[in-house]
Parts: sequence; structure tokens; C-alpha cells
Amino acid sequence: MAYDLQLSRIGKVYENGTPAVIDFNLDVEKGEFIAFLGPSGCGKTTTLRMIAGFETITSGDLLIRGKRVNDLPPEKRPTSMIFQNYALFPHMTVRQNVHFGLEVKQTPKAEANRKVDRILDKLGLTEVADARPNRLSGGQRQRIALARSLVVEPDILLLDEPLGALDANLRKSIQNELKLLQRELGITFVFVTHAQSEALALSDRIVVMNAGRVEQISPPRDLYTRPQSLFVARFIGANTLISGKVRHSGDGKVQVDSAFGPLVALEHGAAVAAGAAASIVLPAEAMQVVPASISQDEVRATYGANVISCHINRLQLVGHILQIALTLPNGDSVNLEGHADKYRGRLVAGAPGYIAWSPEAATLIVE
Amino acid sequence: MESRVLKPILGVYVAAFLLFLYGPFVVLTIISFQQGPEGGPQFPIIEWSTYWYKHIFGLTPPSRIAPLPVGEALFRSLVLAFMTMVTSTVLGVMAAQAFRKRFKGASFVFYLIVLGMMVPGVLTGLGTSLLANNIIGIERHWYTTAFATHVAYTFPFAFLVMLAILNRFDASVEEAAWSLGVSPWMTFRKITFPLIFPGVLSAMLFAFTLSLDEFPRTLFASGRDQTLPLAIYGTFSVEIHPNIFAFGVLTTLFSFALLSVYGILMALSVRRAKKMAMQEDIV
Repeated sequence: MAYDLQLSRIGKVYENGTPAVIDFNLDVEKGEFIAFLGPSGCGKTTTLRMIAGFETITSGDLLIRGKRVNDLPPEKRPTSMIFQNYALFPHMTVRQNVHFGLEVKQTPKAEANRKVDRILDKLGLTEVADARPNRLSGGQRQRIALARSLVVEPDILLLDEPLGALDANLRKSIQNELKLLQRELGITFVFVTHAQSEALALSDRIVVMNAGRVEQISPPRDLYTRPQSLFVARFIGANTLISGKVRHSGDGKVQVDSAFGPLVALEHGAAVAAGAAASIVLPAEAMQVVPASISQDEVRATYGANVISCHINRLQLVGHILQIALTLPNGDSVNLEGHADKYRGRLVAGAPGYIAWSPEAATLIVE
Repeated sequence: MESRVLKPILGVYVAAFLLFLYGPFVVLTIISFQQGPEGGPQFPIIEWSTYWYKHIFGLTPPSRIAPLPVGEALFRSLVLAFMTMVTSTVLGVMAAQAFRKRFKGASFVFYLIVLGMMVPGVLTGLGTSLLANNIIGIERHWYTTAFATHVAYTFPFAFLVMLAILNRFDASVEEAAWSLGVSPWMTFRKITFPLIFPGVLSAMLFAFTLSLDEFPRTLFASGRDQTLPLAIYGTFSVEIHPNIFAFGVLTTLFSFALLSVYGILMALSVRRAKKMAMQEDIV
């Protein structure tokens, strides 16, 4: 089966010699929702702009529906882009904005008008069709940009932080609309964002980038529970990293010597060599906090094989959520939340305690 | 405290500036209403009259004072200014557009263009005249050699105006158009040009007015047929009558009319630009 979009060893080096994107590989199926996620300057927008044709590609092949498009100018590519600042044409009405792409393609008048009407209706813009875009709200402008890009029926829609300029509430609602729209149209979406919540909520797969390189390509759930690199572990979710050395491995289990004593982790995929440096990535929600009044053996039996002593600094009840701040023996502070009922009356602020977790809840990353 | 000292000084400065700017024009206007044909360009006014205005248009009985030889010169100057305006603005827009991308030797080319407004006009005029006469061997005319010097002089102004405008231009609207499948030329026509039009208007005004009263370059490069500034200068060297002042008032009024047209066109497109700026603010 041909992929909708293929990036094969794509690289970009700026004229002054700085590499912006290094060895980017990705195959996207038709109708997939892909997010490029990473801190600013990681190369995610540059990659998107290479797909759109606004940036030249230094090395590698870019294929859209099996056809190499490296050297095609942007107007000849079956892609359409949504910009963070919307980039609407200020001297045209909403209808003219949307109609423009069809007009220059010389779509027959009746057909063009029908398409414009349909997309305006779908995005709830019929009412404001004759207004200038600058008189409209951010959310409306965002929808105009969407309508303008979708009406030309691109194979791939590229979105460059399209929700970045909206306030939090609007962002949520447009986010939902975007997802529904994408499902309905079945168009491939490539979405650039630095907000992990957006990427986790919207996409089928997330490409995490750092310093021009792809760190991990995974569905949101896997990315969240099974980070493959320390960068991803630090960037996604709220993880505590415990570094140590592999003592031995076998039966899918790995013994790790850490500053907190021996810990157990699971092997993911490849076998782990003894003596290798490794980190245990411990998600905040995997930790169980237990008062020190219970014996360590009992904790181990009830809550999981791994136990570390800690000091509980602060407890705060917010509705049904208990926020717990604690310190590990090495001085690292950890903040986590739990359901109030689970901890009711058992924990005391300022007292020692244990945190415990079962090996399958954590991820081992071998360096 | 600072403003108590500084403000009056600045006020006086501005007043002096305005006086020097408009003073000559006021004097000129007053003298243009001198009685004629005996009254000369001096105070006091013998008697107020519009004699010299009529004189310009040949509406007075013949007298010893010849009518101003400005009819054809005015026509030439207007045509020359128009040609210069169109050429310089087109070149200016294209050159500024080219400078949006970095290219090898960009700064060299930049200074080469800007040199056109820095070089003393007399030198350009003289050089052009020598080049035409002695090296290429063509006749000098206001619409050939003088036109070339006018373009060389006004092109940098149009270029700098457009450079400033394009500097602030948000290129993502162009990218948006390309990504919709619109060719670069169509994008320029339908998106870029309408948005930079206020700048184009300014560039046109610069080129037109600078060309209209250009003197030193034209003096050497225009050949036999004179432009308006040359014709006026020619009458000065014989004897000065208030008809020149009347003519000056008329041309100044013409300039104001031109400025008003510019102002109206500008206001129309600035309203659009303002909306655009508002959009940027919100973003």
C-alpha cells in the first residue's frame, strides 16, 4: 500500500552550516493525524515547511502519494497549510478568502460557489461570509483559514501551531472540531505543536523531536507510558527518573542497582546487558504513597516490588484530589496527585513514608 | 524639569522651521498680486491686481514684457515626470522585491542603487552629457538622456520606500496563497501588490515630484528643448517680473492638488492597512 506521505532520511542544513533537521524518517498513511511535538527550535516547523515546499530539502526524499516532490514549488504540491497567525488576506471578505484558491484554479463558477457555500456552512461561517476577516474573533479567523485550505481539497493538510493564538477555552473547542473534521474528511493532517496536551488529545501518532532529530514516533498512549529516550521521558508527562546500573537480567526482568538500593524493572524488547547504565522512568501516577507505619515487607507485598523511603512534605486537598509533595532520599522532590478516598486519613505531612510501584508501571531506558 | 527648558526651545525651532519653509511662499504670493505691467518684484505693493495671472495665460494686452515661455516646457516636464514616475516605481518595486531574499553581492548592489541619489547632480548631468556627445555619439533630449538621469536619481527613492514597506510585510500571506496552489505571479498580483499599494503610491509621489523640479542633471543632459525648471531659470537671468511669482503660486497649488489626491488615495488604502495592523495586534 502506498503511503500518503513519506519522509525518507530527510535532512536540512542551513546555508551557514547549522543543521536544522537530521535524518527524519516517517511514513504516514492516508487519513492519519500526525503531530510533530517538541520544544521551540527542535526543527518541527522546519520539517513542516519542507513538506509544504517553503523550505528547500538538503538531503533525502519527500514523497506524497508515492511521487517524489522534493523539487516541486509549493503551489504544485497537493498540500495546504494553516498558519499560526492565520495569514488571511486582509483585503478580501471571508467568502473571497475562501474562494480565492478555486478562482485561480479556474474551477467553473457554479461549482466553485457550491464548494465555497458548503465549506462555509460546515464551519459555521455563512453568517459572516461578507465580512472582512479582521473584524472577526480569533476562533472565527481560525475557521476561515481552515475553510480556505480545505476548499481546494488538499491531499495533506499542514497545520503550524494553529491553536497557539487562541485562549484556553476556545482552544479546547476548536481542538474537538478539528478532530471531528479530520475524521469526517479522511484527509491526512500533519500538526505542529509544542503543547503536549494538544498532541496527546488529537493525534494518531506523535513524532517527538529534539535538536533536529526524531526522538520517538508512537501513538499517544505508548508515548506516555513507554518513552524510549530520556528526552521523551522528561518532556512528556510527569516522570521521575532514577538512574542506576543493570546488575543482571533474565525472564524479562531486570535488576537495577540505584542510589535507593536494588530495584526491579521489565525488559522492553531487546535484551539488556549487565553493567549497562540505565534509568527507570517512573510516572507520577504509578507511585503509591504509603505511611512509614507499615512495614517494608508488607508494602512490597501489597503495592509492588519496588519501595523507596521518602519524606512527605505537604498534603493539600483540592476537591476530591489530594496533592502530595514529597522528597526522595537524594533530595529530588516529587509532586503527585491521588484520589482523596485512596489516601484518606492515612498520610501525615512532615512524616516519613514509602513510595512503591510495580515494575510494569515503570519503563527502563538503557543508555 | 527637562521639558520646561526643552519644550520652548523645540517650539521655537519648529516655528523657525515653518517660517523658513512657508515664508518665501508667502512673500511670493503677495508679490504675485502686484499691479502690472509697471509693478516689479518689490515692496510695497503699488496696487493689488491679478494682472500677472492673466499675463501668464496671455489675457493681457500686449506689452514690452514677453509672456513666460513655459507652455511647452511645462508639458515636457509633466510628461518627463510621468515617465520617470512609472519607470522608477516599477524598478523600485522589483528591486525591493528582489532584496527580500539574500543573494550574493546584495549589499554591493544596494549601495550601487543608492549611489544614484548620493552623487552630485551636476556630475551626473555633465557625465551623461559627455557620454552621449563624445562617446556614444547620440543627441541629447529631455526624453532620452535627461530621462535616464531622472530615473537614476529617483529610482533609489522608490527603492528605499518599497524596501521599508516590504520589510514590514508579513510573508505568510504569500505562503498561504502558494499553498492554495496560486502561482507566484498571481500571488503578487492579487495578494502582495494590493497590500503594498500604499507604499507604491508613496514611491510614485517621490519619483514624480523629484523629477518635476529636477535641475542640475537636466541642465546638462536635456539638450535643446528645456524642461520647466530650466525655462524658469532662463527667464530669471534676463529680468524678473512678478509673472514668475504668479506662475510659482500656480505650480505650488498644483503640487498641493497632487498631494491631496495622494492623501485621498492613501487614506483609502491606509484604512485597509490599519485593519491589517489591528489583526496583527490581536495575534
